[in-house]
Amino acid sequence: MGGKTESLNGVKSGSTQTSMGTAQIGLKPDLFNFSLKSLKLKTKQQELLIRVSVLGLIYILAFITRLFSVLRYESMIHEFDPYFNYRTTVFLTEKGFYEFWNWFDSESWYPLGRIIGGTLYPGLMVTAAFIYWVLRFLRFAVHIREVCVLTAPFFASNTTLVAYLFGKEIWDSGAGLVAAALIAICPGYISRSVAGSYDNEGVAIFALLLTFYLFVKAVNTGSLAWALASAFGYFYMVSAWGGYVFIINLIPLYVLVLLITGRYSMRLYVAYNCMYVLGMLLAMQIRFVGFQHVQSGEHMAAMGVFFLMQVFYFLDWVKHLLSDKKLFQAFLRITVTCAIGVGALALGVGMASGYISPWTGRFYSLLDPTYAKDHIPIIASVSEHQPTAWSSFMFDFQILLFLFPAGLYFCFKRLSDATIFVVMYGLTSMYFAGVMVRLILVATPAVCLISAIAVSATIKNLTSLLRTKHKVPHGASAKGTTSAKASSKASLDQSLPFQRNGAIALLLGAFYLLSRYAIHCTWVTSEAYSSPSIVLAARGAHGGRVIFDDYREAYFWLRQNTPSDAKVMSWWDYGYQITAMGNRTVIVDNNTWNNTHIATVGRAMSSYEDEAYEIMRSLDVDYVLVVFGGVSGYSSDDINKFLWMVRIGGGVFPVIKEPDYLVNGEYRVDKGAAPKMLNCLMYKLCYYRFGELMTEYGKPPGYDRARGVEIGNKDVKLQYLEEAFTTSNWIVRIYKVKPPNNRW
Amino acid sequence: MAIENPGLRLHLLLFLVLSSSFAIFKVSSESDSDRVAELLRLQPRSGSGVIHLDDQSLRRFVTSAKSRSYSLIIFFDAVHLHDKSELHLQELRAEFDLVASAFINNNKDTPAHSKVFFCDIEFKESQSSFALFGVNTLPHVRYVGPQIQNLKDSEPMDQNDFARMAESMAQFVEVKTKVTVGPIERPPPLSKKQIGFLLALVLISAPFVVKRVIAGDTLFQDPKLWLSLAVFVYFFSVSGAMHNIIRKMPMFLADRNDPSKLIFFYQGSGMQLGAEGFAIGFLYTVVGLLLAFVTHLLIRVRNVTVQRVFMITALLVSFWAVRKVIYLDNWKTGYGVHGFWPSSWK
Repeated sequence: MGGKTESLNGVKSGSTQTSMGTAQIGLKPDLFNFSLKSLKLKTKQQELLIRVSVLGLIYILAFITRLFSVLRYESMIHEFDPYFNYRTTVFLTEKGFYEFWNWFDSESWYPLGRIIGGTLYPGLMVTAAFIYWVLRFLRFAVHIREVCVLTAPFFASNTTLVAYLFGKEIWDSGAGLVAAALIAICPGYISRSVAGSYDNEGVAIFALLLTFYLFVKAVNTGSLAWALASAFGYFYMVSAWGGYVFIINLIPLYVLVLLITGRYSMRLYVAYNCMYVLGMLLAMQIRFVGFQHVQSGEHMAAMGVFFLMQVFYFLDWVKHLLSDKKLFQAFLRITVTCAIGVGALALGVGMASGYISPWTGRFYSLLDPTYAKDHIPIIASVSEHQPTAWSSFMFDFQILLFLFPAGLYFCFKRLSDATIFVVMYGLTSMYFAGVMVRLILVATPAVCLISAIAVSATIKNLTSLLRTKHKVPHGASAKGTTSAKASSKASLDQSLPFQRNGAIALLLGAFYLLSRYAIHCTWVTSEAYSSPSIVLAARGAHGGRVIFDDYREAYFWLRQNTPSDAKVMSWWDYGYQITAMGNRTVIVDNNTWNNTHIATVGRAMSSYEDEAYEIMRSLDVDYVLVVFGGVSGYSSDDINKFLWMVRIGGGVFPVIKEPDYLVNGEYRVDKGAAPKMLNCLMYKLCYYRFGELMTEYGKPPGYDRARGVEIGNKDVKLQYLEEAFTTSNWIVRIYKVKPPNNRW
Repeated sequence: MAIENPGLRLHLLLFLVLSSSFAIFKVSSESDSDRVAELLRLQPRSGSGVIHLDDQSLRRFVTSAKSRSYSLIIFFDAVHLHDKSELHLQELRAEFDLVASAFINNNKDTPAHSKVFFCDIEFKESQSSFALFGVNTLPHVRYVGPQIQNLKDSEPMDQNDFARMAESMAQFVEVKTKVTVGPIERPPPLSKKQIGFLLALVLISAPFVVKRVIAGDTLFQDPKLWLSLAVFVYFFSVSGAMHNIIRKMPMFLADRNDPSKLIFFYQGSGMQLGAEGFAIGFLYTVVGLLLAFVTHLLIRVRNVTVQRVFMITALLVSFWAVRKVIYLDNWKTGYGVHGFWPSSWK
């Protein structure tokens, strides 16, 4: 079906494709062609040179577009989780690998503590530490923070290379180049890989795409070496991110589809078996994953498909031995029935005996998305776990969304093992992206690849239309003539000037769309995805930029002014930051492994002060930290997160009831608020002495700018706590828990 | 239907008064054990064991019965409000039924069996009872203890006791009546007969399916079907249908200021209405498929004019759709996307 697109020789397609690629980054391809022609290189060499230089430019582009965050703010670690990663990386570089691996952290989850080595994916830290050591070895005196800040952009650049190779594998080198260019600046990927976003995903997307590429390569070639490489890619992915579960389910699904559609081959057998067995053994070396590959229900699909492969191979062998067709049919029936029966029995016994654990909530909530909302508030409360609205897709993919169906169509027109894989990858990840906003990230490489196929194939068709036309009648020199005739397009049509104009119009349209894409991506990167969220920026009244650096102010205050063994209680969002920047012990943090402990904090925050005091005494809390946006108008503060504290607290301690904090189902903080709300600890700590403050001209004192209301309880009296520190914009407020009264 | 003759009307009234007073007399002459026996007799009439009361029977079992050995849990129902989905009346009623049947099943042949009875009252047919209880909002469940004389003194179930459905209702009942309700058994989504039927169907069809799969001529080996499925999955995802399902978003909203107008597009990112998502998803899909159509199918059309007309239409439609989506996106999110040019160019 795709024969027409393939009929051209590779040289022309290569050069047209590069013109596409360079259009992305605003270079003039003619310049290249011209200067290269004067150098008298052979066509093939020219093509190679152009391809390599375009790829090099894309590599650099992917890196520099992620530096907006450094330009606009400074070289710092962003958000919440990266602070934990940074802290552990620093530990790793200072104390060495074995100390890191056996690290018991008593500074978080007080009084429980946390075994860091056994509860994290070490891939990112080890990678960053390795880069750091290499740089040190080469006598570059860098700080570990700079390495951490730039790890994600560096791996994003590497991802473009993998995308190129992958595109080349599934379609042609042109599609590869386009895919590399698209993924270099795709906002869906940039959102997790700007400089400073030192998180697992930054490395993991590279590993994910690499594993997929190597696996497809292995399936295409049937070579043991590629399969081995893909097993190691998988190992790297497992060490870096919990999203490896996607790989270990997608690849078996893909193999299953190939088996069902009758595409079973020796190549597939070699690729899958090698990748599965070795990948599994390697993955068991990660302590956090351990024996899950043979024990958890999420990994059973891979094992089932592994055994199915053996059955297929066995059948093939028997078929080879048996000449009688009827006999084989009978044999087939018996074997298949037995195999399925034994498999089901084994699974049943495993499940019943508890050897195979059932699916976890997170996994289950992907398949049945309404599950999390009803059953696991701690998953449903995280903002990046919300379902995706169409505008988020548009924001992260822009025109790629228009190209995606076209790309699907192209893939179906030229079905091969590789295109089947990319279609499956695209569709499953697209579905998951619809369930959770953060999974747009996983879908991004697939969307870029499939869209690249659409772009590349379309432009190839159009340019070939243009070229053949002025070559056929006048030879190569007749450039620009409008009287071109005849077409190589299966000689369907003889009067062509109009068609040629149509092709030009379409090309211009494509160019326009792609340039819009580049503009959109740059804007989004610069304005939306480069904010570190630990330093806030706002437009002031006169249009100037106002920077709120309250978080760091508060954390450094903690570091300087509290005893080094002080325990700080806050909502779990700020746990990692307090331990990393304030260097103090926290009760709960962003590793939400113990729901009861978090619920205890939620309960304390939503109780009356005296009840909360009991809880805080029992947890040895010395300081309480709350985030408050009433003065600055910062809307993601603790008051707006408060209902989740109530829900999570109420999930474990039924004394906390959500309706007590609502008035007719409405959440309010003004005079009409529920009495329990007006007197709970969180309200008091946020609004302590706020009633005396004029926040906005023309409004009464105690006017909350984040919620736009005058607060209901202006006379907050604290009995068991005292204000210790409030930052300059009141964003972070720290309270000291008073010691118990003397009894005499 | 109106009664013309005043004399007849008077007679009717007299008759009504007499008969009702007689009924009262008859009822009040009943002993407690009679009433319990009557309630036990009424209980199996409905499948779940919830006794349906009206004005008269309520009077008989509660108001006029001075000494009662039993308490009643009354669910206040209103058939004409069933279609108001925000009240969840029907769901709560089903949960109430579950509690009732769980209680009856778990307390069979114990003294507790005749201590608590689950009842319901319908608004249209027993308006005066609603007034007696002073109930004017729904959903509403009340506990009428043995000592209650004035119905308004009976205790209503708290709003948040509804929240966790049957389990919390059972908790309420247990707290008030001091009897145990026992574990609540929910009916499985598929009954045993249905499961058996499905199993039989699968078993019967299995040989045929296997044969066709091996022969390779099922519908599922047709790439066209897979293509349309793939496009559907794509459409489903990008239109935010998942968002609508999880958040239970309506297709459109009525305008608050002007109820006759409908709002189809919601301003503000992170939220969307149903129709909005489908419209956008449709636009995406149309452009993508047009591109595929132009490059793969149109070139096989022999007629040049048809080619040209299609080509131009496709171009125009795509152009319009892309513009529309970008416009809507900018409007929805409030972002103004612009390029960054060197400052010397300004």
